[in-house]
Amino acid sequence: MISIRNVSLTYPNGVRALDNVTLEIAKGDFLFLVGSSGTGKSSLLKLLYHDAIPSHGEIVVDGIRVDKLRGARVASLRRHLGVIFQDFKLLNDKTVWENVAFAMHVTGAHTREIERQVPRTLDLVGLAHKSRMFPNELSGGEQQRTAIARAIVNNPKLLLCDEPTGNLDPENTAEIMDLLLRINTKGTTVVVATHNQSVVDRMRKRVVRLEDGRIFTDEERGFYYLGLGQGQVLSG
Amino acid sequence: MDWGKVKFFLGEVGRNFTRNAGMQATAIGTVAVTVVLLGLFLFVRLTLAGVGDRLLKQIEISVYFHTTATAAQENHLRDVLRADNRVAAFTFVPKAEGLKQLRRQTQGSIDVSILTQNPLPDKFRVRVTDPSEVAAVADALRGQPGVANVVYGKTIVGRLLQLGVVLRRVSIVLIVALLFVASIIISNTIRLTVFARRREIAIMQLVGATATYVRMPFVCEGVLHGLVGSLVALAILGIGKAALWSKLALALPWLELNSAHVALLPIALQLLAVGVAIGALSSWFSIGRYLRA
Repeated sequence: MISIRNVSLTYPNGVRALDNVTLEIAKGDFLFLVGSSGTGKSSLLKLLYHDAIPSHGEIVVDGIRVDKLRGARVASLRRHLGVIFQDFKLLNDKTVWENVAFAMHVTGAHTREIERQVPRTLDLVGLAHKSRMFPNELSGGEQQRTAIARAIVNNPKLLLCDEPTGNLDPENTAEIMDLLLRINTKGTTVVVATHNQSVVDRMRKRVVRLEDGRIFTDEERGFYYLGLGQGQVLSG
Repeated sequence: MDWGKVKFFLGEVGRNFTRNAGMQATAIGTVAVTVVLLGLFLFVRLTLAGVGDRLLKQIEISVYFHTTATAAQENHLRDVLRADNRVAAFTFVPKAEGLKQLRRQTQGSIDVSILTQNPLPDKFRVRVTDPSEVAAVADALRGQPGVANVVYGKTIVGRLLQLGVVLRRVSIVLIVALLFVASIIISNTIRLTVFARRREIAIMQLVGATATYVRMPFVCEGVLHGLVGSLVALAILGIGKAALWSKLALALPWLELNSAHVALLPIALQLLAVGVAIGALSSWFSIGRYLRA
């Protein structure tokens, strides 16, 4: 599904965010990216949805050389993957329904299709009853579920999550992670960059640890802190 | 046709247009002021050009024959004039007719009857189609057999033609400068609205909107600015004309004569087109820098 080969990323201001990173993610995987702030987790995700372009190396997502994409092809890539963020990135002057439908409108989807797909997706994330509310009338967890609905409404093969629970209390965090897991079991590959130890330790999924822009460890059923898991693979 | 899509798009444009009233007013106001200035300027230019044109059209070449010129020579010149497509019209004035005209012009202040014989030569009065060719035509006629002298208002033709050239150059410079300043002001205004909505633009691109898709509502907004601004300007110009015209015409009688030739509808349409173009182009360019990828 995702193949990152010898990728380095240096920002225009000279900061070296990633240093010769190589990573393979299989279709249907659920993967955590962990590491302290500024170790390149967000940068790695940005490369996957072409919000940053590697200075070196190549990135293949679902058979497409993402680092080579330009213009309308970038837009096309983003329609086939979903992204969610710590700050939700919802449009505050649009209702829940409109925020989700928006992602379909930009793809040029037919109105009938939008009217069929949006309620289904809102149902899946448990927000069908709040579809007419505006983001600032919702709790943080509900806002993030709206963002997830928007991310998955086009049935992406890949869902990228950058600190999805960073602004949420433990209860909402658990709900969001359950939702991500459910989406994953339907076949969508999910990559989650997180600081949240309890989330990582509870789920026992693959954990890739970044340190100073390099992959430090890559564990099959890992924990947040190094050395607690089994099947540890040192790489990078 | 997917009406849902149309509704969505118009909704987006409408929402943006009504959201930031101050910003919209600035953009519309700039278009309006520009178009008013442009309209006034075009009107003045066309009026002045009309004055020049009318004066030039009255320019006439007089071709005088030697008193000894033969009928054959005169007929030859007639053929030459007929063959020359720069010549719009010509009339032959035999010397007897010339004397009559002289008599009429002097209206008895000079007693022409003391003349024992007619001292006037035969002549042709020639008008040309294009005033800038007066000199060339006159020179060509000067060499014809039997022709004694060719006379036209040389200095005035030169000056009027020069005036036309200067007027054209000045107006091109002024129009370009005016449009340049207007588009800078409008792009800056729109840049502010784009800046206020950069988050929204980023989100649109994040969920896979193409650059064109993001641009379209802004460009439509620009077109609306242009349209509304020019309509306001045309209204101002129209009211201004209605209110001031009769007074102005009294003060400057020649203006009324010459401005009657200026067709107002094409100018109005041109102004409208210019306004819309300024609006559309400035928003097209000002959003460019917020579109990555």
